[in-house]
Amino acid sequence: MSGQAAGRRATVVGVGYSSVHRELGVDTRPLVVDACVAALRDAGLTPTGIDAVFEYPGVGSQSAVNVQRLLGIGDLKAYGDLGGSGPSGLAAAMAAVAAVESGSCDVALVFRSVNREWGQQSGRVEVPPAGNAAQFTLPYGDFGGIIPSMGMRKYRRLAELGGSEEDYGQIAVNARRWAAMYERGVLTKPLTMDDYLSSRFVAEPLRLLDCDYPVTGACAAIITTAERARDLAGQPVTIDSVAFGTGSRPDWTFSDDLLFGGTIGCARRLWEKSSVTARDVDVAELYDGFTHITISWIEALGLCGIGEFGDWVDGGKRIGPGGALPLNTNGGQLAAGRLHGLAFLTEAVQQLRGDCGQRQVPGARVAVVANAHGPQCGAMVLTRE
Amino acid sequence: MGKPAPIPDQASAFFWEGAARGELLVQRCEDCRAFQYPPTVVCEKCQSRDVRPTRVSGRGTLYALTVMHQAFLPVFAEDLPFTIALVDLDDAPGARLLANIVDADPGGLTAGDPLEVVFEPRGDYAIPQFRPAAAQRAGAA
Repeated sequence: MSGQAAGRRATVVGVGYSSVHRELGVDTRPLVVDACVAALRDAGLTPTGIDAVFEYPGVGSQSAVNVQRLLGIGDLKAYGDLGGSGPSGLAAAMAAVAAVESGSCDVALVFRSVNREWGQQSGRVEVPPAGNAAQFTLPYGDFGGIIPSMGMRKYRRLAELGGSEEDYGQIAVNARRWAAMYERGVLTKPLTMDDYLSSRFVAEPLRLLDCDYPVTGACAAIITTAERARDLAGQPVTIDSVAFGTGSRPDWTFSDDLLFGGTIGCARRLWEKSSVTARDVDVAELYDGFTHITISWIEALGLCGIGEFGDWVDGGKRIGPGGALPLNTNGGQLAAGRLHGLAFLTEAVQQLRGDCGQRQVPGARVAVVANAHGPQCGAMVLTRE
Repeated sequence: MGKPAPIPDQASAFFWEGAARGELLVQRCEDCRAFQYPPTVVCEKCQSRDVRPTRVSGRGTLYALTVMHQAFLPVFAEDLPFTIALVDLDDAPGARLLANIVDADPGGLTAGDPLEVVFEPRGDYAIPQFRPAAAQRAGAA
């Protein structure tokens, strides 16, 4: 960051995962401990070395201080539960970057823990009260998280920018290709375009296979200064640039830009602060809670022009294994399960360290990571020294 | 159990009360003349507190729609498939409402199509809904 002492440049020095579960009723507490301990081991650290904890809360999560206690970490210099309105799980890492670079803390643990129940809200019997913001949506049956909004985003994109349903299908088909090479892959059976096009509508034109797959699990990362990283065992990955975005009328429903939300401004700020450009990206890990989100980020980040995704993706070749721009190299949330955002960061770190085995992108030195959409956008550029 | 009825607040009471009378009212700023929806406590353009309910024609244009094939609330299951849409009001630029599309096959609609408001009783109030504009319906018949 400009004006930032080089020694305090935020760096990722460890990542870790728990096991990932498809069944209901799994307690996330041991899983979040597993993920955090794995990240600490990866960094060559013990809990006593941590002085900050950040997480994105929600169904199935544990608060930062609960995890502090479960891990026996001492008094924290910085902490936060950054939920609700932030850029999904990446929000925790973005807060850690700010805290580390400002000098508020030196070594931050960040995690996201979620359960499958969070993604099983359909058919819920209780009708919540249609007050506050819900008075303008709930009476119309607009319920189910952001699913109706995503249906309208896909509809409006097809109406305004053209393209085809196959464009969306390329994101879904690509996810399975990569997940087949990932040890934590959940949906590893290949998907054909016909499978995608015959999957049922949830909120037409949004199809079931446009939506990510709910799981129970946790992932974690350790963020510290470049100076401190030099004393640690692992290969550090530099956080080159960080940016947020909300759009000018931030709302999931009543937005002035349903197609891109905050992605455009976020991407512009990201590249303004970065030491590299969109042309330098070797691997992209872009949120795929819904396929529309991934396409938005590809265009907003300038990996191709606005409305040009369909041609650019080249029948899927460009984003698949061996392609010019490998995308979501662990299968993303569509095929490796919804660990809700932070796993895009941990996968990017593993790619830049060359730890990805058969799914490794050869010689990857620059990764771009993005989370969420609409009013909750966040992104990072990561580089290997 | 019936479908959820809106629970008005101080800023929105006029909207639901108007709908109950069969009138579509949206906020207009007396200082900068901007329209806005949903109703809130100040003008989001100039922060004036002088935002007044203003009656509009109820004519609108389809911005986007989605056809729900899964009812996330069981009380809507009998309506499946039903259509949720965003509608730009013709005489209140900047005001975009969410509503259901009624009396239409959504497959026959395209973004930009003209719509008109109708009111559906709900609890103590009514909720604005939209259907294809009269000319459109006549043309289709």
